[in-house]
Amino acid sequence: MQNRHVNAVVIGAGAGGGVVAKDLSSGGLSVVLFERGRWHTFDEHGDDELTSQRTFPLKCGFGPDNERNWRMAPDGEKGWRKVFPNDWSYGNNAACVGSGTVSYGAMAWRFQPVDFHLKTKYGAMPGSTLDDWPLSYEELEPYYEKAEYELGVSGDPANDPFTPPRKNPYPMSGFSFNREGIILEKAAKNLGLHPFPIPMLRNSVPYNGRPACIRMRSCVGFACPVGAKAGTQNTVIPTALKTGNCELRINCMVSEIILDDKGRARGVRYYDADNKLREQTSDLVVVSASASETARLLLNSKSKLFPNGAGNNNGWVGRNIQDHAYTGAYGLFDDEVYDDVGPGACIAINDFNHRSPDIIGGGVLCNEFIRMPYQFTTIRPPDSRSWGKEHKDFQRHNFKRHIAIHGPVQEMPVFDKKVEVDPLVKDFWGIPVARISGLRHDNDIKVAHFLADKAEKWLKEAGAVYTWKAFPGKTGTPSQHQAGTCRMGNDPETSVTNRYGQLHEIDNIFIADGSLHVNNGGYNPALTILALGYWVGGHIIDTWKGTKMK
Amino acid sequence: MKKMLITGSAPLLLIAGFLLLYSRWNAAPPERTCASCHEISNMVDIWGKSTHRNIACKECHGTALSEGIHSLKEKGKMVFHHNSKIWSGDIAISEDQRMKVLQRCTGCHQTEFAGWNSGGHAMNYSELFLNSTHNKTETISEDCLRCHGMFYDKSSVADIVEPLDSAGPWKLKDTKLADRPAIPCFSCHQVHQSGNPGERQNLSNPSSLHYSRSKQTLTSFFYRRTNTYFPVLLLASPEITFQSASVKISHDPNQRLCIQCHSPNAFNMSGSSDDRTPLGVHEGISCLACHDPHSNSAMASCKNCHPAISNCKLDVEQMNTTYKDPSSVNNIHFVACTDCHSMGRPAKRF
Amino acid sequence: MVNRSLSRREFVRLVTGGTTALLISFNTACRNKISKWHFLDEQEITLLDAIAEQIIPTDDFPGGRWANVSNFIDKQLDTYYRIHQTAYREGLAALEKTVIGMKGKKFEELSFAEQTTLLMMMESGEFRDNYWKDHPSADFFDMVRQHSLQGYYGSPGHGGNRDYVSYRMLGLDYPNVIGQNRYKDLSWRIYNSKSPEYAK
Repeated sequence: MQNRHVNAVVIGAGAGGGVVAKDLSSGGLSVVLFERGRWHTFDEHGDDELTSQRTFPLKCGFGPDNERNWRMAPDGEKGWRKVFPNDWSYGNNAACVGSGTVSYGAMAWRFQPVDFHLKTKYGAMPGSTLDDWPLSYEELEPYYEKAEYELGVSGDPANDPFTPPRKNPYPMSGFSFNREGIILEKAAKNLGLHPFPIPMLRNSVPYNGRPACIRMRSCVGFACPVGAKAGTQNTVIPTALKTGNCELRINCMVSEIILDDKGRARGVRYYDADNKLREQTSDLVVVSASASETARLLLNSKSKLFPNGAGNNNGWVGRNIQDHAYTGAYGLFDDEVYDDVGPGACIAINDFNHRSPDIIGGGVLCNEFIRMPYQFTTIRPPDSRSWGKEHKDFQRHNFKRHIAIHGPVQEMPVFDKKVEVDPLVKDFWGIPVARISGLRHDNDIKVAHFLADKAEKWLKEAGAVYTWKAFPGKTGTPSQHQAGTCRMGNDPETSVTNRYGQLHEIDNIFIADGSLHVNNGGYNPALTILALGYWVGGHIIDTWKGTKMK
Repeated sequence: MKKMLITGSAPLLLIAGFLLLYSRWNAAPPERTCASCHEISNMVDIWGKSTHRNIACKECHGTALSEGIHSLKEKGKMVFHHNSKIWSGDIAISEDQRMKVLQRCTGCHQTEFAGWNSGGHAMNYSELFLNSTHNKTETISEDCLRCHGMFYDKSSVADIVEPLDSAGPWKLKDTKLADRPAIPCFSCHQVHQSGNPGERQNLSNPSSLHYSRSKQTLTSFFYRRTNTYFPVLLLASPEITFQSASVKISHDPNQRLCIQCHSPNAFNMSGSSDDRTPLGVHEGISCLACHDPHSNSAMASCKNCHPAISNCKLDVEQMNTTYKDPSSVNNIHFVACTDCHSMGRPAKRF
Repeated sequence: MVNRSLSRREFVRLVTGGTTALLISFNTACRNKISKWHFLDEQEITLLDAIAEQIIPTDDFPGGRWANVSNFIDKQLDTYYRIHQTAYREGLAALEKTVIGMKGKKFEELSFAEQTTLLMMMESGEFRDNYWKDHPSADFFDMVRQHSLQGYYGSPGHGGNRDYVSYRMLGLDYPNVIGQNRYKDLSWRIYNSKSPEYAK
């Protein structure tokens, strides 16, 4: 049976896609929202560390499955190797309704105003495609606010002099510190730094019909048992479905965007829940499948006019993939610093984000989410034994006596760091798979060392008796923060979409996810992706009123 | 004619054969029948060391046919999986099946059952999930199933009740659940709990009756997230604090079971959330010192320590001591000396 | 005709029931061949137990053997870790062979200290003969090491971490005692009114 034609197809029910689906369906468009995963409940996962989305040796709890999804990753001199989702080299993209927002740590950062014009601030950077965004922080601010209010963010910027300017306060007050936070707050103040509670997409008080956070140990990597953590699956997607205009099609894998001879999109081809190839026609297509899968889909959507993939005649689709080079330090303490108050991460400093003359960029520094027991087996000072009595002793003695401070280094975009489609390897459905490769810019490593030093100093001031730093290297697959593969820009030669996420070359294809980021900031990107969802969705609604995308 | 006889009697013979096999099957020891698949052998091992080891599987669980077609489908599927080496996890019984077992509990544990039935823990799904006072103040969430409806078969509270908001009106999605107990015996008791079988006294010979006190700790907490039991001795006894000082907590291990559901907030603060760890004059006393473990009633226990002829001449039974009434000044869990001795500590007389 | 007294449904029930019973009886017949383990055999389990005990040795808390680490690995080899079946089968056999060649004894018969030395050799890739030429011993050791740590520190639902031994060792309450935010109006809250968490 043929599917009924709809106004819009949205691909990927994660942060960006959920928001766009809500905006379009509320605006009166008929929408089909595609998701390769399914609905998940807390109950089916519980607090099992080995199948969480944080440490996943057995499987990724929130998708995708190892049976049908894989990618290729660089393998030294051997070329490429096949990697499955529960391998860090895959990239840790979730796949379920709500996607990463179901199991994320829910930090709700706005990028700094300067993040939107980095090239103007720092000048051109050799070896990097560093550029300004085609929109300013001031333009995006109302959309940040919309995301904060519609999904619900708790925060308190009073003690952060560097907080991005905001017209209205956070909808909920910030979270109190756990024991780590209290210790670190004092130390940061001693050092003249400015600690404040991390803004979170998590209710500190009942909000929008969802209860307040109960501060569980198992938060990041897990679903929330009370629904205090806001994801698109418990906010905007239910709203979209309630309009009656949006149909959510789960367990459906979109394989390509159908392009006609005039160079426009006609809809999509997808494999349905029974793995049967079907078509869904539409007036417009919104791709929000994550920076790696969005690029893969465009590259796999070829036509006479687009032999290299949809919107890719300039060869920029899939380029400049960024993530965050996580860096930081660990400290061991004489006394117990662990009080089992989740999710662990609670305190941050903005002092080293663009505010140091020595470095370009920077990043926020936060205490880390609670390290679960298996995850902690990998946290050791350099040259420690990885098994045996020494390893067990360390585990026993230090589980409750260590603090980790980490920060996401703002990565400089590199053209050759990229997502491609593998010429030979196909997934379960026969769709060519993504392969991700490339090296980080030297500046990332420099900043990582700078931030790790600061983290270590902070820990020492807090009373750590032994500290060590943990740096990223130049390799590593961009993971859950991946961004930048379909960057927006005013110049069609050096970007994929215009400032509204609309492909330069195909005016009825939009992108609404991290792929748009010209730069990924020194922060967790979820709130920015949500804000861009509102930005792109709002623009589509405005345009639709005039043109109906004809 | 002969042919007809053969074709006619063949099914009869077949049936007779099956019946014979089946009755022999039911009479055989479990390790040769139920426990011959490794999916269930683990459970049978546990049962073999349990207090109920003298009660055969089928007495509580019925036979392979007692649930008719459903049983057959279920068992058939297990055999199929077993033979095709499909690992379908350790075996678990459904909530329906548990409710049938519950009927069996009442056969021996009549007093306990009657107590439970008269108390708050006997609430059923409709009393619990349709309580509008509660639903208006606290949104229904997956975490409810931690302590109520913990044996519910499907994986979301959204399948039990709708709508999941604070406006209501609420209704059960499956009316079959309405009068099903939401906190059955199995919430706190593991039928296969390891221990020695209780002694059955011979009631027909009154002179042989004697009192014997069991030293076994018989409670376990069923934890839905892992679908397993935690014997109370393995449960945590969190340190409760009141204004940063530690609250003294009874050493009674059974109290660790109570606090699993009557829990404080993540900071373990006294009196937060649903914590009722006694503070004030009753600090350090076990929940079970006052509450009957099954009916949970504490009515009768006050006078054990506060007889009418006590020095203070307070008639505690006339006091409003309930925790349910927000205006109660003598809330039994937290009442402090100064609540009555408002002038402070009396001066020393000697 | 002979079945007139039985309804069709009952008849079907009986026949399928009998068949099921029969099938199970066949299973019982082969009962002795059914191992307690899913993939590994008794000998491999013994060896794996000894390795797991080396990875997480017993102190005043039990070690890898008691915590059922090998049960965890065995169970995973039949589910999530099917792809590692060959590696385990061949790796464990090769290890046994190498150890007998070197010491004249099985691994599990050696002293604890001797076992530690051998595993350290294995970890640094010093086994180079026969099988290990194409399958670096360091890789095999690292896989078993990681799987053992998962079995000891992961959820018991997967077959290891018996009685949440590792959580108790770390002083981590499990189940996690944590209440919700209800009963806000009740009077005992006033007792906590001075505490900062409630001031909000």
